[in-house]
Amino acid sequence: MDGQLSAPTQATSLFDQTVIPGDIIVDLPSVANLRVGSGLRQDCFELLAMKVGTLRYKKPNKYWLESSHKRYDPSVEDTILGIVVGRNSENFLVDIKSSSLALLPVVAFEGGTKKNIPKLEIGSLLYVRVVKANHGTNPELSCTDASGKAAQFGPLKEGYMFDSSTGLARMLLSTPTCPVLQAFDLQRFKIVIGLNGRIWVNASTPSMVVLISNAIMASEFLSASQQANMVKELTDQLQTRCSRTVGFITVNSKSAVVNSTS
Amino acid sequence: MEQRLANTWHMTINEKKFIESALSKNIRVDGRSPVDYRQLTIKFGREDGSSEVQLGETHVIGLVSGQIVQPYRDRPNEGTLAIFTEFSPMADPAFEPGRPGEFAIELGRLIDRGLRESRAVDMESLCIVAGKSVWAIRVDLHILDNGGNLIDTANIAALAALLTYRKPECTLGGENGQDVVVHDPEVREPLPLIIHHMPVAVTFAFFNEGDAMVIDPTHKEEAIMGGRMTATLNSNGDVCAVQKAGGDGVSLSVITHCLRLAALKAVDITSKIKNAVDSYNTARALRKVKRHNALVAPDITVPDSVMKGNQIGQLAEHQAQKFKEESTKTFDTETVVGIPKETVLFNKKNINFIRKDSDSFIGGPSNWDPYSQSIPPTFVRSSQIFPGLHSSS
Repeated sequence: MDGQLSAPTQATSLFDQTVIPGDIIVDLPSVANLRVGSGLRQDCFELLAMKVGTLRYKKPNKYWLESSHKRYDPSVEDTILGIVVGRNSENFLVDIKSSSLALLPVVAFEGGTKKNIPKLEIGSLLYVRVVKANHGTNPELSCTDASGKAAQFGPLKEGYMFDSSTGLARMLLSTPTCPVLQAFDLQRFKIVIGLNGRIWVNASTPSMVVLISNAIMASEFLSASQQANMVKELTDQLQTRCSRTVGFITVNSKSAVVNSTS
Repeated sequence: MEQRLANTWHMTINEKKFIESALSKNIRVDGRSPVDYRQLTIKFGREDGSSEVQLGETHVIGLVSGQIVQPYRDRPNEGTLAIFTEFSPMADPAFEPGRPGEFAIELGRLIDRGLRESRAVDMESLCIVAGKSVWAIRVDLHILDNGGNLIDTANIAALAALLTYRKPECTLGGENGQDVVVHDPEVREPLPLIIHHMPVAVTFAFFNEGDAMVIDPTHKEEAIMGGRMTATLNSNGDVCAVQKAGGDGVSLSVITHCLRLAALKAVDITSKIKNAVDSYNTARALRKVKRHNALVAPDITVPDSVMKGNQIGQLAEHQAQKFKEESTKTFDTETVVGIPKETVLFNKKNINFIRKDSDSFIGGPSNWDPYSQSIPPTFVRSSQIFPGLHSSS
């Protein structure tokens, strides 16, 4: 019970506030079924924060912590992007940016049996769902949804993948559509966002893919209007760049990787 | 084995194919053109000879230190230069602590060759007593973050550190005039190294069996490149070193094209390094001016304050008083090799004295200039009596 260092606080006062590991959130309204989400741990009648993040609450009984990290903590029912790094007789070994490798059973595909195991090479990118995630054991994945159908899970062909933080991935998946994605013509590209911070983009031309990936990476700390402006700037620069052969773009942002000369 | 798999960095087939196909159309994934460098930032530490260079996401620190040693027998009047690299495991999951790997040694050798074979650093000026004492200059390069193209970044860090390093002044003294006396930097201004020219390394990566070439590859581009070539040139266009260790073969026309590009890039990078070093030297000189009348090393971030004329006089008198007391207590004969003891003591005492007395007196060079206001006679006298005090240089 090392969390005793911080004074116990009312749960309601901490909603939408930043908490740090060890903060105790007590005096919960008495609920029968407390649903504890990621980043929180229940200790008898106390909820302890395990990470730095914002405490969120949804009526009547759901509590969770929203934080942004470069590494991923697996939690059940998350949809993520994994890379195949190995294989044994029963499972594919998949890297999901967490502390241990995840296991994907070779039969966890639609209509999968021991006779028709898909041929996944080392380095294949997969869109998977987390089935089991306990601390201490390897997480387990599946390429089917709960009813056994494929539902867009499985290997991704072509396109380009890049890494970002878990917070950016969540922002991109939020509703209404994130401004940076809104700024592009949604018909002209495909995007798959993994909650572990991996993002896959595909479009008709490589320059479009490069544009989208750089815009997304640069948008993490920008506000909605800033994002729209940034995308407009980048598209304009790309038009002029295509007509010349030199020159590139600077975006003034922490995670910008697109550079520029005047 | 599984833990090692979990901790290494993996590249997908998708990324590999995409980067290669984009490069065949001269498109790079970070939006640069194939011949552009990433943003270069050169910063310096407080001490002379420490530099911090960032090229995009790659981050390297360079540190230069000097020691007096016996020279090699076959070169009795030349100093020595040695490059050491440290690939910190925090830079890349592939770096292991302990003995340097093959690439670490190659990097060190490449930078060493660029500096030594082209005689960029003047070795004969490092000699103190021929055959007995010379300066051994050591450059330590610490890799903090591997974002690709460590060679160029480490080379710039080494150059920036060497250009800002100052070695303490030495004279011959002692009983028989043969012993080397190293003067404290507070007493005599340390001297910069003599650098004749700046050999700048430019790295090229080849893809698609020599069809595509880029300058300054990022970490992902390095993972899929077919071959790499580094050309070290100076701004005059002299080729100091060329290194191509294995990988895909390239035709002669490609190599000459790369050398021409490298010459242009070398000019650009040389001017950036020169600008950074110049602004560092200006800041350093300003710090020295402050120290001249404060006799203490202030923080550059401390705000300037206006110093009135009578304040200078009062303080000088006060200082003279203090030093008289100190000298009667702790004066010690200068030791032959090493820092004179009483100088250090004086400086320490100064610091305590200044700090607790008045925060208002931290001389601002923008407001106090030794030539516009007259220096009170007491101040001049005190500086003459006590040679340990920092004399105007």
